[in-house]
Amino acid sequence: MTTAPPAPPPAATTRRPPQHLRRQARTAAAFIMPFAVLFAGMYLAPIGYTVYQSLFKVHHSGLGLSAPTTVFAGLSNYTAALGDPAFRGSLLRVLLIGIVQVPVMLLLALALALLLDARTTLFKRFFRLAFFLPYALPGVIGAIMWSYLVAPGLSPITAAAHHLGLHLDLTSNTLLAPTIGNMLTWGWTGYNMLIIYSALQAIPPELSEAARMDGCSPLRIAWHIKIPMVRPALVLTTVFSVIGTAQLYNEPAILHNVAPNLSSDYTPIFAAYDQINADNFNAAAAESVILAVLAFALSFGFLKFMQRRGETL
Amino acid sequence: MRVRWVRTAAVVAVTAAMATAVTGCGSSSTGKTGTAASGPVKLDFWGWAPGYAQSVALWNKSHPDIQVSFDTTASGSKGGYTKMLTAVKAGNAPCLAQVGYETLPSFAAAGALQDVTQYASADKGQFAGWTWNQVTIDGHTYGIPVDTAPMALLYRKDLFAKYGITTPPVTWADYAADAAKVHKADPKVYLGDFGNDAYNYAGLAWQANAPWFGTGGDQWQVSLDNAANQKVAGFWQGLESQGLLKNDPSYDPSLYSDMAKGAILSDVNAVWDTPILASSVKATSGDWAVAPMPVWNAADPQYGNDGGSATAVLKGCKDAAQATEFATWMSTDQTSLSNLIKVTGIYPAATSGLDNAALSAPDPFYGGQTIFDVFKAEMPHINTSWQWGPTMTQTSTDLGDGLGTVETGNATLTSVLGSVQTKTVAEMKQQGLSVSGG
Repeated sequence: MTTAPPAPPPAATTRRPPQHLRRQARTAAAFIMPFAVLFAGMYLAPIGYTVYQSLFKVHHSGLGLSAPTTVFAGLSNYTAALGDPAFRGSLLRVLLIGIVQVPVMLLLALALALLLDARTTLFKRFFRLAFFLPYALPGVIGAIMWSYLVAPGLSPITAAAHHLGLHLDLTSNTLLAPTIGNMLTWGWTGYNMLIIYSALQAIPPELSEAARMDGCSPLRIAWHIKIPMVRPALVLTTVFSVIGTAQLYNEPAILHNVAPNLSSDYTPIFAAYDQINADNFNAAAAESVILAVLAFALSFGFLKFMQRRGETL
Repeated sequence: MRVRWVRTAAVVAVTAAMATAVTGCGSSSTGKTGTAASGPVKLDFWGWAPGYAQSVALWNKSHPDIQVSFDTTASGSKGGYTKMLTAVKAGNAPCLAQVGYETLPSFAAAGALQDVTQYASADKGQFAGWTWNQVTIDGHTYGIPVDTAPMALLYRKDLFAKYGITTPPVTWADYAADAAKVHKADPKVYLGDFGNDAYNYAGLAWQANAPWFGTGGDQWQVSLDNAANQKVAGFWQGLESQGLLKNDPSYDPSLYSDMAKGAILSDVNAVWDTPILASSVKATSGDWAVAPMPVWNAADPQYGNDGGSATAVLKGCKDAAQATEFATWMSTDQTSLSNLIKVTGIYPAATSGLDNAALSAPDPFYGGQTIFDVFKAEMPHINTSWQWGPTMTQTSTDLGDGLGTVETGNATLTSVLGSVQTKTVAEMKQQGLSVSGG
């Protein structure tokens, strides 16, 4: 192609690397481009637009029956959202569900993973599949199934309790949150178990073997060797679970069909969607940003906290 | 040379047409120029009522120069209105939309409606006066009324007889007595259901002349928990507290399953619910009948209204004249009305529609009864001054939530009205509207 003849080897070594690197950079850019464009367009731009929207406000005057005007509102949407007892209530509700449900689910997942990993467990493949199956089911289907299992008038659980002389309404205001926690635990324990189980599989067998030789019981092996070794997996599943709980939507949305007392601002996402329905996009944007910041702070904060502790250990 | 000139002209024309399409919002163009350049005017129409599509097809057959395409959306409160408002914001809304009277003020407040007073005012005389008032806000007309929604008692004739109810309850006192009678005879059977549909409940308030909203000067008045409303709430809470009503959510499969197996004997609902009920409990066809809604005072009967909608013209429509022409046709043409009466179960807002033959057809599901006669007799006794507020999405959501908690025994209806009142006033204030009597 080029008019110049192939350069002699010594010259080549001095000239070719920059050209080579430049081409490499171009190639890399070409490969990154599709991602970068989609990431900017589908991820960064909507976030930016949401933040932008949250700083404005639709202003009416008088009876407000003519077209409104949009005015800059500063942070007033944020103060309004945080001052709204319904929105604060939804945040608190989800926080409480998370505080109780996430540890219960992860302890269960860890216990199941340890049992699957134990030497003496029978039918390992069967149980691994059985525990994982709820996650393989689409979340909405699982939620529909549970909503029938807890619906007043249909619920076999309520009927059984009735036979025992107990009055049990799983969709009453007091039991709604535990019912949702139960649905979440049922759906997600298997998934978390599998992550922890694969971490357990990566532990070199000679460690457990050495401990066993020294007369360590299976329980103590689990406590002193296996659990410390799968700590990264536990941290990871906790972070996923925190984010997942912050985004709670499917289960309560489906449950609402059989539990009309489940309010339409039950979770923060419900509350934001409620604002959209009321044509208040600016308030919905502010509530979304608050939720995102809180979820980020909680999950990232937990991660940092665990990392710092990891360094001192 | 000549060929090139033609091509250039074509390019210019197309570019101009595109420019008009893009910048056409709010222009006073009637779309006639568009017709000449690009064939028939095309209008989009969003709605959810069954039967609208057939009326649109009838129009398209007879009006080749204005073609309407109907898109079925989710019903308004289930996301349809959100979709419309979002489309208006995005600037790609359809020209026409099905919007309930209760939501029109909210649409006006969102600036989502197009003023069509100049095209519509000539048609005013064709409609019942109060329905015209529902589509005219602050002196501007935003659409054409389609129907009104008088309420009645839809009941199981065979089972009423079985439980010894010889005549359907005339007053609410009779209703309460019958509810007790039925439930006593069989604790698994209920006279009616207390659902969680805010607008059905609004019909009960409407009947009792218990207004929710009003305007005085340049201020809104919210009266959801005034004495008249508390009286209605007290009656229903009384039945609820005694356990005399079933508590299935409105329009839920559980409701229809209970109706089909004879555990719920009646429903107080609007005229448009008659075909919905018929298709939901097909197996009991012929066993049902329609009676006037129970009243508070038999000497001076007043009935309720639950719904009624308009074909509204949305902001940004560049063919508003044609859109109005279609909307008027859909609400007044006899072939269209026959279809809407039969399929949608509407009670026409157009006065000429009241003589439509479809209104005197016997309905086999209701034992061959001419059910529209009941609604026709109620019409002169429906309060025509009812006014909706500008925050109905929020108000109806909060009331629906509240009714849900009442159903499950977690709150009383009387306290729910108080909290919906507070939330509505707060929402109005937050939007910058002036409200009195907070």
